Amino acid sequence: MRFRIYRYDPESGSKPKMQDYDLDFDARGKKVLDALIAIKDTLDESLSFRRSCREGVCGSDGVNVNGANVLACVTALEGLRQPIEIRPLPRLGVVRDLIVDMEQFYQHYRAVKPYLINLDPEPENERLQSPEARAELDGLWECILCGCCTTSCPSFWWNPDKFLGPAALLQGYRFIADTRDQSTNERLDFLEDPYRLFRCHGIMNCVEACPKGLNPTAAIGKIKTLLVKRAL
Amino acid sequence: MRRVGGSRRGLDMWLLQRASAIYMAIFLPVFLLILLDSRPLDYAVWQGLFATLALKVATLLFVAALLTHAWIGLREIFIDYIHCTRCALLRLFLYFAFALLYLACLIWAADILWSVR
Repeated sequence: MRFRIYRYDPESGSKPKMQDYDLDFDARGKKVLDALIAIKDTLDESLSFRRSCREGVCGSDGVNVNGANVLACVTALEGLRQPIEIRPLPRLGVVRDLIVDMEQFYQHYRAVKPYLINLDPEPENERLQSPEARAELDGLWECILCGCCTTSCPSFWWNPDKFLGPAALLQGYRFIADTRDQSTNERLDFLEDPYRLFRCHGIMNCVEACPKGLNPTAAIGKIKTLLVKRAL
Repeated sequence: MRRVGGSRRGLDMWLLQRASAIYMAIFLPVFLLILLDSRPLDYAVWQGLFATLALKVATLLFVAALLTHAWIGLREIFIDYIHCTRCALLRLFLYFAFALLYLACLIWAADILWSVR
């Protein structure tokens, strides 16, 4: 199998380049991450990439394969056009090879206060929800923060420092939608901004990219609906 | 300088863009039906159509909706693509320049419409 992989080592002083690898490999039933690990084991131990759980739960191996942002560990090798081009996630700083600097992404995530804000005295056991209220959170809590959606969003490419991006907005809505949270108004105040929320033009690259099949565009639409309802 | 909190803006523009789109989506097919209904469409019939106050007002509203929609769209483009450190002034200038241009277009359209008797 033929691979073309983005290589960059800032310490070497040389410019980023694409490097070709020919890997003798039976692709049946294997994923892109298996190939990356095989290349590192047998061809080039200097190749750097992040991975942890290798089964689509930890979200650390988001990469750009043949132009699409995917999790390397759940993307099948079969059916990919060769040479398989693997690049780091777009629009983030490259630390080395396929490893990107996620700080901007996490900054936006922290900005939406991704935790319950509830000023009532803590109950003896837990804060209860009805099954219907809990069902509201489905399609929101599953996000693993891999960054595939946000780094595929053109609005994030143009304004990465100000637009929160689909992942952070999905998480923002996850706590707005939570019946146990008491700071919906403050959350909406924070989001109502020409940059933070309204840079979303409904391009929907995020929906296409999400390896967990989530729909950030729908969540952003619900935030806008709540803003309208609040203003009327 | 410390970045301050949400500016509580953007929703009005977003709503106005949707409202203007809805008006255009209703006006255009209705206008087309009126044209189809008044065949054969010669100069006298065309002039007769626009001699009525209702169509004058509806058409002027359409032009206003179109220009509003276009201005908000341009604003989005400016915000998306023009953001160097000192570009705020350029954006402000472009907002005003296009607002003036479109306002002039609106007055011009009103003049054309009301010149039909």
